[in-house]
Amino acid sequence: MMKPIKFTLNGEAVTAEVPPHWNLVELLQSRFSLYGARESCGQGLCGCCTVLVNGTAVSGCLYLATFVDGAEVTTVEQPAPGAELDAVQEAFIARGAFQCGFCTPGFVLMARQLLDEMPDPTDDEIRHYLSGNLCRCAAYPEIIEAVKLAARMRKGRGKST
Amino acid sequence: MSPFELLEPRTLREAAGLLASAEPSVRPIAGGTAVMLMMKMGVLRPSRLVSLRAVEKRYSAIEAGADGGLTLGALATLSALERSPAVKSRAPVITRALRALANVRVRNVATVGGNLAHADPHMDLPPILIALGASVSVVGPAGDRTLPLEKLYAGYLETTLEHGELIAEVKVPAQGARRAAYLKCTTRSADDWPALGVAVSLEADGAVVRDARIVIGAATDTPVRLANAEKALSGARVDDVVLRRAGEAAAAEAAVIGDQHGTAAYKRELVRVYVARAVKAALAG
Amino acid sequence: MATQSTQSVGQSVPRLEGRAKVTGRAEYVHHLHLPGMLHGKICRSTVAHGRIRRIDVTAAQTVPGVHRIVTAQDLRVIVPDPYYGPAFHDQPILAVDKVRYAGEPVAVVLASDPHVAEEAASRIVVDYEELPAVFDEVEAVTSKAIVHDVLKPAGTFPDLKHLQGKRDTNVALDFRLRRGDVERAFKEAAHVFEHTFRTQQVLHVPLEPFVSVAEPGEPALTIHTASQSPSFVRIEIARLLRRPENRVRVKVPYLGGGFGAKLYIKLEALVAALALLTRRPVKISLTMEEQFYTLTKHAATLRIKSGVSKDGRITARECEIWWNGGSYADIGPRITQKSGFTAPGPYDIENVRIDSYALYTNLPPAGALRGFGIPQLVWAYESHTDMIARALKMDPVEFRRRNILREGRKQATGTAMKDAAIDKVLERVAARMDWGKPFDRGSGTLKRGRGIAIGFKAVIAPTTSVAIVNLYADGSCSLCCSTVDMGQGSDTAMAQIVAEVLGVPIESIAVVHPDTDVTPYDMATLGSRSMYHMGNAVKLAAEDARDKLLAMARELGLAAETTPIPDIFRKKYGMQAGNIVGTGSFIPTYQSPNHETGLTENATPFWMVGATGVEVEVDTETGQVKVTRLVNVADVGRPINPAIVDTQLSGAAIMQMGFTLFEKMEFQAGQCTNASLAGYKIPGMLDLPPGITNEAVDAVQHTGPFGAKGVGETGTFGVSPAFANAIDDAVGVRLTSLPLTAEAVFRALRAKQGQALSDE
Repeated sequence: MMKPIKFTLNGEAVTAEVPPHWNLVELLQSRFSLYGARESCGQGLCGCCTVLVNGTAVSGCLYLATFVDGAEVTTVEQPAPGAELDAVQEAFIARGAFQCGFCTPGFVLMARQLLDEMPDPTDDEIRHYLSGNLCRCAAYPEIIEAVKLAARMRKGRGKST
Repeated sequence: MSPFELLEPRTLREAAGLLASAEPSVRPIAGGTAVMLMMKMGVLRPSRLVSLRAVEKRYSAIEAGADGGLTLGALATLSALERSPAVKSRAPVITRALRALANVRVRNVATVGGNLAHADPHMDLPPILIALGASVSVVGPAGDRTLPLEKLYAGYLETTLEHGELIAEVKVPAQGARRAAYLKCTTRSADDWPALGVAVSLEADGAVVRDARIVIGAATDTPVRLANAEKALSGARVDDVVLRRAGEAAAAEAAVIGDQHGTAAYKRELVRVYVARAVKAALAG
Repeated sequence: MATQSTQSVGQSVPRLEGRAKVTGRAEYVHHLHLPGMLHGKICRSTVAHGRIRRIDVTAAQTVPGVHRIVTAQDLRVIVPDPYYGPAFHDQPILAVDKVRYAGEPVAVVLASDPHVAEEAASRIVVDYEELPAVFDEVEAVTSKAIVHDVLKPAGTFPDLKHLQGKRDTNVALDFRLRRGDVERAFKEAAHVFEHTFRTQQVLHVPLEPFVSVAEPGEPALTIHTASQSPSFVRIEIARLLRRPENRVRVKVPYLGGGFGAKLYIKLEALVAALALLTRRPVKISLTMEEQFYTLTKHAATLRIKSGVSKDGRITARECEIWWNGGSYADIGPRITQKSGFTAPGPYDIENVRIDSYALYTNLPPAGALRGFGIPQLVWAYESHTDMIARALKMDPVEFRRRNILREGRKQATGTAMKDAAIDKVLERVAARMDWGKPFDRGSGTLKRGRGIAIGFKAVIAPTTSVAIVNLYADGSCSLCCSTVDMGQGSDTAMAQIVAEVLGVPIESIAVVHPDTDVTPYDMATLGSRSMYHMGNAVKLAAEDARDKLLAMARELGLAAETTPIPDIFRKKYGMQAGNIVGTGSFIPTYQSPNHETGLTENATPFWMVGATGVEVEVDTETGQVKVTRLVNVADVGRPINPAIVDTQLSGAAIMQMGFTLFEKMEFQAGQCTNASLAGYKIPGMLDLPPGITNEAVDAVQHTGPFGAKGVGETGTFGVSPAFANAIDDAVGVRLTSLPLTAEAVFRALRAKQGQALSDE
């Protein structure tokens, strides 16, 4: 009972045959060997499975794979335009905003979304926007600092990378 | 999760028809967050799902009516609601509450209709919309009907929707001079499901309340209006004594249940305190 | 060889694996997919204690795609004696005849499609004859419900030998310490205080749940596993399979968090046996829910009694501690003993009596969780300390000042304190809290309060670490060590040590992740031991490599100190060839405590000291507690990487804040009822206190590598009692059970007003 789907994955047109009960994380891992989105809590609460669908962040573990038919899908593996890392990634490294790293791809993608929506977020805005991402190592203070640094870096570069 | 067939009708009516003719385990799926959770837990093992994602676009719209009210399409996402300028100007209590509702990713996919029809008492929107006097229009095999939102709820995870009925739209009447507030109380982490949600909408001349609607969620099986607390406020000039009376009436009348967020005795105390605080917040808002 | 120091040590070098982690490319076992691999899904016990009458797999077998269904009986072919454990060989790979907790693995379904395995596992029907169960640690002492008929110590610990074959008891270990004359001291004391405290069962919740893959092969079976203890896994699996060590290979990439959960054997024995049984690679990855049925943190009951002189000196202390170990001992007996050493707290007390009991109950097994029992103890003794100070109307900081252990003084075990900056840590936390200055106590229904607490730990001993530094002909270098980087930044810190010794830039060093065929033995990544033990081994290995290189240069007539490394190799071998292997092995000295008195001159190679200061705002109408300030101060020796130390301190404190304020596993008849992140909440971004600061005091661990010691657990020590002390300071109620929920505070407030709230 496979369903054929076509979509754009990190800028590339792709096709896949998927069982109807697969979620988006399974699709990315099993068919495309992309492991940046990973299932942890399985309930959309921790954010480890964050994927962008048509530019909107979703929990890949609660998102049916077949729903991306015709959509644009972006994962953390998507290279930044013209550079290896974007401002958010560089800022996360500079501020040491992770420990075990399992939640990091989700935080990176959500932080990018946040800065696209609010280029100059307050601490309160950062906390609210990222409240659906959990870090058991609790690198939260460093993550807040990294988001603020990335905001400054993006402004300095005058573009959203 | 086990395999199922996914149907994608083009109209809401067609979807309702598919559901009406199927066995009860066949469910509609829109944003899918709640359905996916239930399937993953194994409490829902459908042979078929009816996707609502391809139905008419108008059911995803949020419209500001000429009468000052709002029409929310059942398939509008919660983040569309959160970002809607019309909602912000006509019912700002919704915009404020959405910021702390679930998380960004859930709001990006979860729909208004799904949020209401799931009938999980811990949801924030139902008490708010009930306090605003919202009604829902429903399509179904026996024809279309409209009912006040508070009549939608029959029990924990139970609605009064008939087999095959789907929510099409939510109508929020013009609020005029009414002011509203929603307070949410969590007892574990800040992002936990609420132990209690209190929505208040009132009309007042200065501190004199002419009409109040008080609705609580999370502490009870279903979102519920607190008539005695409303009565305690009606016509009264709000001061600490009146607020205490309203809070006490609320705590006495609500059928509070205990769970992991607190015992019933404690949650009744929360009702008492938060009803008073929500009334205050509505008056200030 | 460049001689000028790179001064790598002491610098906040960004983590080596930063790029891999922010791009989602860092390697975890979670990602591993092997050709022909089967997925296993576990059918778990639904009762807390019962005899297995029958396992019916008929319905499960009808699910299309099932490869095989396996029970304990099937595993006997591969593992004749299928019991494992670090302290006791008490835990079966799959339940044999009997289940001892709800959630215990009973059978496994194997299939190529994990959905198929899951569906089939849900269709296995097990018939149990239920047995009486015991859940409370104090009741377990006298309960007629016996979890294990016979005690089976592993034999690796000489001090457990006397328990061999003991019957009809739930006491897995009793540790006792006797120092001075406690009875007389109590009689002579001006004041005697006695309090009982409780802690709840909580969970590690690494975001990468347990996952292991076994791959059959010749000569070795390979196990890829998210484990903190690859060397232990190899030795224990070799024992179970009756193979030599070199026929079991264990590989560990990065871990998505560990916190003590991923120690010893978890899924490794199961996947190993299944892979050998089916001759195919087998992967088992647990769901978040299943983590709740695997390993937890000990709930405990702690009774503590103190005698205090007129001038506020503690003269006697008696501690009785019951550790709820759940159904299998795991490392509980070690926790019972090692934490028993420091149960009286960082205080100079002449007369001490300690009894610490490890108990079996019918709950999911408990083990180490970021502190090895210390946070439970500090919760009790630092709450107790404040209660005494309050009763004596003394300032809590001043009372501590009067009683703390100073350098050189003998601690309860008789071991003298060395390189333990207890006084400095206490003074710094007080200073950072502006303790001497006026404090805003709030108004109306919002009352403010503050509290501090200080704890310490004797690191586990004796344990061994071995390291290899492999210097290549181009001057680049590999460090082979079995320390697992689970987020604590060990790769970076160890590389900094090598860079410092060899005088090369850190970029030229690659850290080889644990692979027991390649990286040498290490006891485990646990208990904050790696920085000190492995750090010393790495330093020795790097020095060995450096000395060999210098000798080679001298032999060749080169100026050893100034010739670039590649030139030395080129001169020696005529081309880019050869390598230099430096090795280092480290085991500190240790003296086992006397069995009767618990005394020893040398209980530990180093002491860890941590203090916490907390300011709270309590809503008297609801009991809600808002944290407005959280200060963490620690003695970590001289930090190798200050930024990483900072994150370790605040990370540990925030985690412990969750255990303090709301985390709790709920049980009904032994069944965990909140086994998910929807039901069991952990701190998120919105729970982060606005003012959180960390400080590593100016200190040196003289026996540590470049003066460093461990830090992973230190930030947890003082958090729980600091909160309880602050709440008492704000609203005058004392809570003695964790967690300190809003409801608990509210109930205490109402009780104090004589209007107790009903229990329902």
